[in-house]
Amino acid sequence: MSKKNRPVGRTERAAAAVHEMQRQERRRRNLMVGGVVVALLVIVLGGYALSRSLDTSDDVKAPAAGGGDYGLTIGPSDAPHDVVVYEDFLCPYCGELEKASRSDLAKLASEGKVRVEYRPFNLLSSISDYSERSAAVFAVVLDKSGPEVAKKLHDLLYENQPSESGPFPSDDDLIDLAVRAGADEAVVRTGVEAGDGLDWVARATTAAQDAGVRGTPTVLLDGKVFQDGRTMDDLAANLVDRLE
Amino acid sequence: MKEWVGLLARLATGAVWIVAGAVKLPDPAQSVDAVRAYQLLPSSLVQPVGQLLPVIEIVVGATLVLGLLTRGSAIVSALLFAAFIIGIASVWARGISIDCGCFGGGGYDADATSKYPWEIARDAALLAASLFVAWLPSTRLSLDRMMFGRALEPEGL
Repeated sequence: MSKKNRPVGRTERAAAAVHEMQRQERRRRNLMVGGVVVALLVIVLGGYALSRSLDTSDDVKAPAAGGGDYGLTIGPSDAPHDVVVYEDFLCPYCGELEKASRSDLAKLASEGKVRVEYRPFNLLSSISDYSERSAAVFAVVLDKSGPEVAKKLHDLLYENQPSESGPFPSDDDLIDLAVRAGADEAVVRTGVEAGDGLDWVARATTAAQDAGVRGTPTVLLDGKVFQDGRTMDDLAANLVDRLE
Repeated sequence: MKEWVGLLARLATGAVWIVAGAVKLPDPAQSVDAVRAYQLLPSSLVQPVGQLLPVIEIVVGATLVLGLLTRGSAIVSALLFAAFIIGIASVWARGISIDCGCFGGGGYDADATSKYPWEIARDAALLAASLFVAWLPSTRLSLDRMMFGRALEPEGL
């Protein structure tokens, strides 16, 4: 190595030293970034576990179909499956579910494959008193005219479901539907005007809330919340598949 | 100057995320319902997404406010806002009237259609702020600077 070349060598060595420092610095940095990423992932996973434990959507503990005090049951008690539908006559998704599932559920119930209990209650009281009034007429009809007429009224209420933005049918309109379902007008009118169904609705609503029902429609299949479906049509189709 | 604007964008976006997540975290069931109401995800994904979203929102908000892994956080933030814009536009286009569930709530809302344009505009502004932060090499008062210094050019973070 000649004297002339030395400065060049020194520069190279210096450059190599700087390069080495930068490399170590980069390494230190990458390790720290990696550490932070891992720490954040641990926090997210911990939060996810917390969130899962706080999620109450599956915690519905309700009596089996036919065992509720505030519902209408179709199908035999020895059916292999039981389905409970918590619903509000005003809730649009309940209307969709009803449209998509009613005839299949009725058929399966009549074939003895399922027992279904419809449990209407007053969820949407903040929107209108229609939820309460319609359920009250239903309660009077169920009490005075029996389950078959009540089922027809149930179906008619969904077929004539108002929009959540109104206009809402009057009590007279609801009594008309009850008569179309086969109820005796005088009997139903007397009951409705005496406010007979309102107490039933209040108790049904408390019972639904006590069971842990948060929204409508809430469908239980064999006691477990059934939510398999992106849309109400999917949900109804999947439910019927399970029952067949 | 840009770095100070970047700090503002970080703080504003991060604060929105923290509030949005903190409001939802105590009631994951509501968050799950809100996700379900979009009728977009397969039913098996609705629950995990609804449970995870508030947590991710809080973490992304915190890292943005602190300026930790700023670029990565800003990119996650931008992706989330893009997803929310798509979600809201999609329910709007399908005529589904729901509360966006952005800050808790969710489910049916009769007045929703009149709110969608504002919600999309808000999310678009926050998306732009996130992209701006992601584009900046670094911002003021960030943990990134304190921890990683400026010895090296920032590399993707």
